[in-house]
Amino acid sequence: MAQDSVGLPSDFQFWMRKLSVWDLASTLETQQDTCRHLPRFQEFLRQLYEALKEMDSNAIIERFPTVGQLLAKTCRNPLILAYDESQKILIWCLCCLIKKDPQNSGESKFNSWTRVKGLLSHILSTFRFDIKEVDLFTQVLGYAPTDYYPGLLKNMVLSLVSELRENHLNGFNTQRRMAPERVRSLSRVCVPLVTLPDFEPLVEALLTYHGHEPQEVLWPEFCDAVNEAFLLKKISLPTSAILCLWLRHLPSLENTMLHLFEKLISSERNFLRRIECFMKDSSLPAAACHPAIFRVVDEMFRYALLETDGALEVLAAIQVFTRCFVEALEKEDKQRCQENQRGKESFQQTALKQVDIQLKFAFKTYFPYASPSLVMVLLQHPKDIPQGLWHQALKHISEMLKEVVEDQTHGSYGGPFESWFLFVHFGGWADMVAEQLMTSEAEAEAPEALLWLLAFSCSPGAGHQQRAQTMVEVKAVLSCLMKLLRSPTLSARDLQAAAGEGGEGAPRPPACQQLIRRLLLNFLLWAPGGHAIAQEVITLMAQTDAIMHEIIGFLDQTLYRWDHLCVEAPRSRKLARELLAELRGQA
Amino acid sequence: MEQLLQHLERFSEVLAVSRTTHVSTWDPATVRRALQWARYLRHVHKRFGRHACISKALERRLQNQWKQQGDSGPAPAPGLANFQALGHCDQLLSLRLLANTALGDASFHYLLQQLFPGPGVPDAEEEWLQGSLARLARRRAAIHMLRFNAYGENPVLQEDSLMKTQAELLLRRLQEVGEAEAGGPGRLLSSLWERSPQNNFLKVVATALLLPPSSPRHQEEELELGSPKTTGEEGQKLLRWLLGKSDVMVAFCRSLPAGLLTSVAGRHPELSRVYLGLLTDWGRQLHYNLQKGLWIGTESQDVPWEELLSRFQSLCQAPPPLKDEVFTALKSCKAQDGDFEVPGLSIWTDLLLSLGSSA
Repeated sequence: MAQDSVGLPSDFQFWMRKLSVWDLASTLETQQDTCRHLPRFQEFLRQLYEALKEMDSNAIIERFPTVGQLLAKTCRNPLILAYDESQKILIWCLCCLIKKDPQNSGESKFNSWTRVKGLLSHILSTFRFDIKEVDLFTQVLGYAPTDYYPGLLKNMVLSLVSELRENHLNGFNTQRRMAPERVRSLSRVCVPLVTLPDFEPLVEALLTYHGHEPQEVLWPEFCDAVNEAFLLKKISLPTSAILCLWLRHLPSLENTMLHLFEKLISSERNFLRRIECFMKDSSLPAAACHPAIFRVVDEMFRYALLETDGALEVLAAIQVFTRCFVEALEKEDKQRCQENQRGKESFQQTALKQVDIQLKFAFKTYFPYASPSLVMVLLQHPKDIPQGLWHQALKHISEMLKEVVEDQTHGSYGGPFESWFLFVHFGGWADMVAEQLMTSEAEAEAPEALLWLLAFSCSPGAGHQQRAQTMVEVKAVLSCLMKLLRSPTLSARDLQAAAGEGGEGAPRPPACQQLIRRLLLNFLLWAPGGHAIAQEVITLMAQTDAIMHEIIGFLDQTLYRWDHLCVEAPRSRKLARELLAELRGQA
Repeated sequence: MEQLLQHLERFSEVLAVSRTTHVSTWDPATVRRALQWARYLRHVHKRFGRHACISKALERRLQNQWKQQGDSGPAPAPGLANFQALGHCDQLLSLRLLANTALGDASFHYLLQQLFPGPGVPDAEEEWLQGSLARLARRRAAIHMLRFNAYGENPVLQEDSLMKTQAELLLRRLQEVGEAEAGGPGRLLSSLWERSPQNNFLKVVATALLLPPSSPRHQEEELELGSPKTTGEEGQKLLRWLLGKSDVMVAFCRSLPAGLLTSVAGRHPELSRVYLGLLTDWGRQLHYNLQKGLWIGTESQDVPWEELLSRFQSLCQAPPPLKDEVFTALKSCKAQDGDFEVPGLSIWTDLLLSLGSSA
């Protein structure tokens, strides 16, 4: 705290000047300026309170001779009193002055004492409407103003809400129409008040308000304040209202994404369950059912991926986001179908039911650069297909991708990167390739299509030649591993030899090394003797911290995927869980 | 139970004293005890809020007190008005003491320490009170801002927030005195009629007659807000009083805007019959001036033709059955007058002609 209060005197002068300006004129500009400074001023008040608390009255007079004046000006400013916890901290500051003031020590002290007392009661109770009839009536009834604040506030809010709604419903009804300037000023008034629960209906009505004006009527500061409150969980709004906010105010959506990234960075790495919670909590997947939101979110993910050079953590976040998004889409679709069905049945037009079972927006609007048929295949959840056909589905995906990537005539679907970016969204499929190669024993030789898909997924930028080279290497490693799979005695050295590490020739490119590690890890999980040597192999493999994190990420992702696909593999699961717990302990 | 009831009675007295100059004799220990009492009763409210028989017994005791104090006329609510008030009685006590300039310095110091202990209070109870007072200040600022920056008076009177709030308060008070004694509501209303500005009072009464009875879900919310938990019953009491007071009823029908009266009449058939009766009485006072070609009154207090017409016009725009009743009444008056179709002979013929042409 001592550190915090170093700059307090200069801050004090700054705020004194500000308050005087705000006090002198209540113009649009001063109100706007006040709104912008509210969070900083609250912080200042907090620091002031911490300082006052520690000082005796002489010290206060010496250090802040005009503190009474500053607090009095603050008490007169309704914007500050309305904001967040400012009124509470202000009361604490006033209490400090009263408590510190020595009693029975002269008239001047007594005067300041009563002044502070007056300020306190001003904040808490002496609000009058200056409407004689009303004051008189309530007084005759025997109620104090504090008895009816809550009810009055509720009525005022509801009245404004119904006015806004009416606007929305019959915008041409001029009698009850709220002028755009009034909507605008109302949104400004709400800036400090968005976190007051009584205001939730009004905030919602403002967000969903659509006038007939070409320009945005809501104040940008209002949107900022609502979004901030939503991110900090100081307000609860239905997804529909949040969607309106993000659609009409792009900075809010961007801030939400940044907030999500910050959360992902500051939380423990490689915890997909937790990432999933963050995702759902952010309301982003549900809001992304609107294509405009999806495109912005996806674009930000793309930048994050490019900026981090394809960091595995970002990739994992994209996959979790996509999973939650598809889930939200299905949920929305199901709801719409149910509504339609109810409507249809009442009209006895059940024949039309089939037509309605499709999304509100075409997939093309979400993934404009991708081939629609590929999107359809990828969107299919592996869980909805019999396990025996996964292999087949992957082959199909591979062929479609290969066609787009290697056949230059498909110019309309973007370059290889676009195809790759689309493919990696769908972790359910993308992470399954290596596992399928390892577990499909039926075929004597690794199928080309899957090898190609694996090579493509690890280095989308590689040329045809380089990809062919990767495929050759992977194929060689795979055939060695397949032999070891049936070998009765298995050692870590055998596995290392199979992986060909430390072999002759030019070192493999990093992406290829990563691929081979992935194959080895899959081998450990699925081979009958894998569990016995797993620890040792991993120790040999994890030569750097980065590789260690990669292995932890792989295990976490695999378990997460298995959970979602309901994969029955108790032995492999147990091993993966044990390894994950152990490695997390070491990392 | 008896002990609890006694506590309640004592505290109600404390609360009544808390806004008098008697608090000048309170020392910090008295303030502490009063606050402790309030907190205890808030617990009682929390604990027995769902126990109908206990809360009823407590409420009965409170109303008995009302009855005793009510003898000196319906003065401002001195103590606890109802069981719900227990839910925020510590807040009520605190506010009264804070606003009371008679409280001595040492006691005021102590009060502040108790009410605003500052941040990071381990005691959830103290935090609750501190938080509720801060919330009150925040709401007060919110009302201020809405009123002076964004709030426009609603042209539809019964939807105006201030009117609605006053109407809710009126019903709430009616309920509070309701069960205390038979003549309670009537006496309260008559005294309000005499003591408060009449035009405002009549508007509040009309608005109260139009408030929808609160649904159980709303009651739940209102319980928290400390605002009314009224049923349709209070509205009926209000209506009975109004219909029983012919002078008030005349003022009601004469001074309120036509649209508002039409709404009230549409909701309450008993009232619409009296209203129609008054309108026909007023119509009979007018006579036709041949020179001017107009219906005019003989005395200054007579209702002018234009006003009469506008009231009938408003009624004819109401949904049936009110609209039909109005036409039936007008037609039967016209028949009594001789069923003329020529203007200038019967006011009812002329009214019907004007209504027909304007419809």
